[in-house]
Amino acid sequence: MYDNPGNTTDQEKFLDQSIRVVKTESFEMKRCLDKGKTMDALKHALQMLNEMRTAELSPKFYYRLYMDTMHELQCLEVSLIQEYAQEPAKLGNLYECVQYASAIIPRLYLLVTIGGVFIKCGLGSRKEILKDLVEMCRGVQHPLRGLFLRNYLMQCTRSVLPDLPETEDMLLAHNNTLPKGAPALKPRDGTVEDTIDFVLINFAEMNKLWVRMQHQGPSKEKEKREKDRLELRILVGTNLVRLAQLEALTEEMYVRDVLPSILEQIVSCRDTISQEYLMECVIQVFADDFHLATLNEFLNACGQLQQEVNIKILLIALVDRLALYTNSSIEGQPAPTKMQLFEIFSEQATSLIKNRPDMPMDDIVALHVSLVSLAVKCYPDRLDYADMTFLGLRQVIEEKGITDIEAFGKVGRELTKLLNIPIDEYKNVLRLSELPEYIKVMSYFDYRGQCNIASYMVQNMLEEETILRHQEDVDAAFSLISSLLRDQEKQPDNSHETEEFADEQNLVARLLHLIRADDVDSQFLLLNSARKVLGEGGRHRLRYTLPPIIFELYRLVLQFADMKDEDEKWDAKIRKMFVCAMGTIGALVSTAELAELPMKLYLNVSSFCKQHSMKNFQGAITADRVPFEDNHTVVYEFVSKALSILEDDVVDSRDRVRCLQLTVGTLLKTTHLPEENWQPLANQAVLAAAKMFKKPDQVRSLVTVAALYWHGKTLETNGEKLRNGKKVVDILRKSAKIAKECLEPLVQQQLFIQLLSAYTYYYEDNCPEINVDHIEELISRTQDNAVQLDVSAEADSLEKQLGEAIRRLQLAKLDVAASQVSSARAEPDLPQPPSENEGL
Amino acid sequence: MLVLLIGDFNLPHRSANISPKFRKLLVPNKMQHVLCTGNLCSRETYDYLRTLSSDVHVVKGEFDDEMLKYPDTKVVTVGQFRIGVCHGHQIIPWGDSRMLELLARQLDVDILVTGNTYECSAVEKSGRFFVDPGSATGSFSVNKTGPVTPSFALLDVQADNVVTYLYRLIDDAVKVDRIIYKKSKST
Repeated sequence: MYDNPGNTTDQEKFLDQSIRVVKTESFEMKRCLDKGKTMDALKHALQMLNEMRTAELSPKFYYRLYMDTMHELQCLEVSLIQEYAQEPAKLGNLYECVQYASAIIPRLYLLVTIGGVFIKCGLGSRKEILKDLVEMCRGVQHPLRGLFLRNYLMQCTRSVLPDLPETEDMLLAHNNTLPKGAPALKPRDGTVEDTIDFVLINFAEMNKLWVRMQHQGPSKEKEKREKDRLELRILVGTNLVRLAQLEALTEEMYVRDVLPSILEQIVSCRDTISQEYLMECVIQVFADDFHLATLNEFLNACGQLQQEVNIKILLIALVDRLALYTNSSIEGQPAPTKMQLFEIFSEQATSLIKNRPDMPMDDIVALHVSLVSLAVKCYPDRLDYADMTFLGLRQVIEEKGITDIEAFGKVGRELTKLLNIPIDEYKNVLRLSELPEYIKVMSYFDYRGQCNIASYMVQNMLEEETILRHQEDVDAAFSLISSLLRDQEKQPDNSHETEEFADEQNLVARLLHLIRADDVDSQFLLLNSARKVLGEGGRHRLRYTLPPIIFELYRLVLQFADMKDEDEKWDAKIRKMFVCAMGTIGALVSTAELAELPMKLYLNVSSFCKQHSMKNFQGAITADRVPFEDNHTVVYEFVSKALSILEDDVVDSRDRVRCLQLTVGTLLKTTHLPEENWQPLANQAVLAAAKMFKKPDQVRSLVTVAALYWHGKTLETNGEKLRNGKKVVDILRKSAKIAKECLEPLVQQQLFIQLLSAYTYYYEDNCPEINVDHIEELISRTQDNAVQLDVSAEADSLEKQLGEAIRRLQLAKLDVAASQVSSARAEPDLPQPPSENEGL
Repeated sequence: MLVLLIGDFNLPHRSANISPKFRKLLVPNKMQHVLCTGNLCSRETYDYLRTLSSDVHVVKGEFDDEMLKYPDTKVVTVGQFRIGVCHGHQIIPWGDSRMLELLARQLDVDILVTGNTYECSAVEKSGRFFVDPGSATGSFSVNKTGPVTPSFALLDVQADNVVTYLYRLIDDAVKVDRIIYKKSKST
């Protein structure tokens, strides 16, 4: 190595010095060339090349010096070729002359340059010169200088190495480019075999130099040396690239001479860095069909590499490359070759794992990743290949006694990759059930790992819209994602509190909408059986997984509703569906009661109650839509259940307000309840409103429930609204009374304005019982209040709202007065206000 | 300035997914604001909206988790326009146009965006503009007879007018309607 590593500044300094010499000498060299003093020019060239003998530079800096020098040598080469064209005789003895230079490095650089010129000009035997040069370079055994010298040899001879036999056309083309007067090129000797020999020798020598670098210098600088070596690896690899570029290189030559020689060199050097790099180089540079033809030889050599070599990377690189190749060009390929490919790899991988007991588990799994990927991508019909690979891996895992593989550990990450491949490739998760070993391998994951894979499956099903049409589909899907559906042995106690748990259960919930049988009866059976499985999920899962089932049941009911004429047992069936929905909700309720016990779950419970109570409301509307015999009993049942939950289970006052709102909204959507059923429900709602804990809530809720008696529709009203103005006014008056009792001025003001708007609303709608005097009184009271409010942004906004409300009322008065007039003229289009109206 | 109006996803309660056709249209960083009428029903849906724009406003649908504390109403100012958002289940009777007007007056907004009807619509009334983006997933709803058409809306807010685009998925093809609303001078 360089003897004086020094620091970067030192290196810069040494480099500067050398480059200065190179510049001066090359300048002199060119002057002599211009004057035709070839011998003097060569002397300066030798002086310049003397700098290449330096021992001061690190590889990086030596490389810069080399580049500069090489550039100058190219100038020399060009002018020598030109000179030869003018005076061929003069060049003849140069080769001899240079032999006498004393230092070996400059001498060899010049010999290589002149050798190149000879070949280009067709002087001497090409074969002999090449052989001569590559042998002479052995004279330099210093690794760094030797590597660069040999690299120069490759550069110089790059374009003149024998390849395809030289044809007349090629020679003609070449001769045309020669300067005037130059002797035309005659066919040169040498064949591609000579080139192969030449490059292989150079390759072997360079590799030896490169390996030797590792063993020079103190052992404490080992790391630095390895870094230096990695910087130089491309010099060695260039030889392989050159071989791969040979047009005349046939598969036969590759199999017989080239690869065995390369592999022999790689294996026998017993150097980890060299082996790892060069094996990968071979994979990358040579053609795919060459690899297919030499698979066994290559894999055998892999088995002989140093223990430290990361074989996994090599095998994976090869498998991936061939998987791509076979996949893109297979159709024409005879099946046996294709088939062998997988079997060879599979065998090799197995024996490799056996022969290397120290191989880390993540490498073993990574190897299987490549194998499965090969199996799945290139042999999509051979499920047995994929399954075989999973079996192989399972056996290794079992032998090593590994369990509970951590999801995000080294091994876990590889395992995730492995299990995801068939999901991604098949694009149909149901196909995984045809790989019995798949699920077994999955079971070696810890809880999180299993859940991750399962949710990846669900995501894929959602993305690909994998429909679960038959019972077998549902069973298959559920068994694959069973880790998400029920408590697992390995499951941590608090897992249901995590975000992952919620996300996963939401995925499962979405999946349930992909259950789509061909007809109503089968769909009902599928939903029912799914519900049974989900029912075992425990309370934390039920809140996610049962709502979709309930909604799917409702959807089914509405779908079935139109088919009354097509099914004799229609009534019984629809009843069954409702009973099933109610039972499912019942499961939620009972679970909620369980959940109510611990205080810390309190909030969950309350939101939970609302959730299923809302489902009750939804059920009510669904039932109302379906004209079956006793649908009103079902509606009544659903709404009354909702109200009793509101009574008993919903505790937070804001939640109660919201639940009541929903009850009212829902009741207003029903149209088929008989009066006798409707009244108790409405009464119950009014009671609930009046029983709100906080006074402002009472006021607002009463305003809300008043709508029931105005907009509500029953069986008896025949689609018309109830328009029970008396009841509306009663409720609003009660509400106003409570509002007056509120003590907080700002809140009270808000409530007054809200009431004012409500009164105006019904007044606009021609509610005859609304007493304008009563409203005016409310207004004056509100205006008095406004004066007393402290100055604040809220007060300002309320002031504005009040103004707006009063303006509305004035407009409404005008409207109503106008409609009174026109109704007196009995215009048929307008609603007829009842005659006994008062207050106007 | 583009404002996406979207809501009533009901994922995962009532639907498996947003149609791929819609997901293709809804690309990140095209819309400056997202106003959501609620019923996202899962954090994942919210995360999805966040991928579309950094400015996302959500109001509470009746199926959204209480713990998330989405407000019942929200007002956002875009250019010259005040836009109010509310899910609509709080407005009794549901979908009542005079109650909607009342809410628009209370919030003092030019445009009121509500959901809950599962039907995409846009109308101008007494100088204010009312938009319902419908249900993004076309999720089944008992509030509406017949099948629900997946839909959302896009507002292109300009200096003194707003161009509304209503996107509907009909027979697996996206249909777009365009409505222009000009701001009246009095407000």
